[in-house]
Amino acid sequence: MSEWIITERNRVVRHGWIELAGHWAIALSGLLLLLSGLFELPMAARYKITAIPGFGWSGDFIISLYIHYVASVVFIAAAFFHLAYHGLLRDWGLLPRKGDMKASIDVVKSFFGFGEEPPFDKYLPEQRLAYLGTAVIIGVLVLTGLIKTYKNVYAPDLSHALVFWATTLHNLFFVLFILVFVGHIGAILLKPNRPMIRGIFTGAVRLDYAKHRHPLWLAEIEPLTRPPEKMPEADIPAAAAASAPPAEGGAEVAGDPAEGTIETAKVK
Amino acid sequence: MERNLSLNRRSFLKTAGAAAMVGTTGLLEIPKKAWAGEGRLATVIDLTKCNGCTDRERPACVSACKKIKAGHIPEPADPIPLPFPTRKVDDWSKKKEAFNRLTPYNLIFVQKAEADVGGQKKTVFIPRRCMHCDNPACATLCPFAANHKFENGAVVIDQEICFGGAKCKTVCPWEIPQRQSGVGVYLKVLPTLMGNGVMYKCDLCSDLLKENKTPACIEACPQKAMSIGPRKEILAKAEELAKRIGGSLYGKKENDGTSTLYVSPVPFELLDAAVQKGPGQPGLGPVKRRMAGTDAMGKAVLAAPALGIAAGLAGAFAFISKRKDKSGKKEE
Repeated sequence: MSEWIITERNRVVRHGWIELAGHWAIALSGLLLLLSGLFELPMAARYKITAIPGFGWSGDFIISLYIHYVASVVFIAAAFFHLAYHGLLRDWGLLPRKGDMKASIDVVKSFFGFGEEPPFDKYLPEQRLAYLGTAVIIGVLVLTGLIKTYKNVYAPDLSHALVFWATTLHNLFFVLFILVFVGHIGAILLKPNRPMIRGIFTGAVRLDYAKHRHPLWLAEIEPLTRPPEKMPEADIPAAAAASAPPAEGGAEVAGDPAEGTIETAKVK
Repeated sequence: MERNLSLNRRSFLKTAGAAAMVGTTGLLEIPKKAWAGEGRLATVIDLTKCNGCTDRERPACVSACKKIKAGHIPEPADPIPLPFPTRKVDDWSKKKEAFNRLTPYNLIFVQKAEADVGGQKKTVFIPRRCMHCDNPACATLCPFAANHKFENGAVVIDQEICFGGAKCKTVCPWEIPQRQSGVGVYLKVLPTLMGNGVMYKCDLCSDLLKENKTPACIEACPQKAMSIGPRKEILAKAEELAKRIGGSLYGKKENDGTSTLYVSPVPFELLDAAVQKGPGQPGLGPVKRRMAGTDAMGKAVLAAPALGIAAGLAGAFAFISKRKDKSGKKEE
């Protein structure tokens, strides 16, 4: 939601602190859900995970359930926050667009040296497709998880058909969630995507990288120039504002860091 | 409606007949068949009546259960796949006749307790099987929904879905479910890596309840020590009997309530100390429902969507308001 260019520092702010907080709330609670969910299967004792120092609790299904619940509160609240916040602000940049499927295939091909990458907007076409897929998976996990929790707390004799399907879908989408998680980590480890890693930790990516790879996005935010004193400081992710080393070049980057001290900003 | 009326008439006649018999026996004469399969049920086991069928080769309830469940477990695979890495299997197929404990082939057994009450030695026989808890962790925590509590109160394991991971046994305070390895759906998936058979326990003769019939053990008891009926009615009668004999109740508060109520003339702490305990031989001590500790957090999970939406709307409105302020200042 908060995007602006900090030319003198060779940075483009890609995510505000709300987006960063939302991402990490989902990511960390999701990781905890994966782990505690696995331990709801009778596997920790069988596979001696309980013997690993610090994992003694993994064989206790009630403790695992409690951890699963705690992580669920964060995960579900963050997911619904995301829907309400970005829905109300009509911030739909991550939703797939027409032609994303074909563009995604071209991008994947380019990773293996076949053809050139097309110029990108803020998000890559496969990011938008992955977002929708992940949203569906999270949606099913949340819905079925809520049914299971309601059953646990209030209605152990809920319709068996409902409980069976909720449980089965929860298990299947749990596996899909693991695959999505692995795919997500795999994608950011690909060399062309690596400069984006900084963005999800600090909120900002290198300007030279963005010029090279996300020209459509920069073209969208560049015209909204504002002098530095007008910059909404409250929206700058602390890490991006604090670190901000001088311009740096990257082996995979074609463009040069732009010169100048004027900061441009766009606040939707 | 007609059926209900006829049932009620039958109930009335039975109850009236039982009442005419006077004495403690009348208290537990609940019209079994009339109520079977209708609403939440409960059973009461009157330990003043159970004599362990000492005059028989084995107790009548055990024989009836074995008879009705005969053949319900398929022949295990030969050899039974050894699970990695434990290489331990539970095979009761060669000990089907065992009846001194719970096994996959023996879903009810009778414990004997000799207790000293006020200097007097008392022998009590206690039929033991699944308690059919009100909120059973064995069912709610089953990772495949193979174990489920139904509206009539019966907690039933679907042997077609169960993988035999024994989680239900681990979370059951009495460790009731028992595993037979080498049978079940796990054989068709990853038999050495996932699952280890099928879990078995009393299902309150669910199939019979559906046909409006009485569970086999209750029907077979020559002492009429066991009864089944509407939960409220059974609970009231059990409490009345306990009060009348100055005895104790077990199963009402244990694990936050169960559908099985024992009435004993001897305090259960004495019975717990006296019975032989071990694998497949549960005790009679106090039991807390461990999952109760997670209920508050479970409620927080259910409230999380509202929390997230409220925070999201508040955040969005704050953002819009800030944007308006800034654009207003800019215009000035």
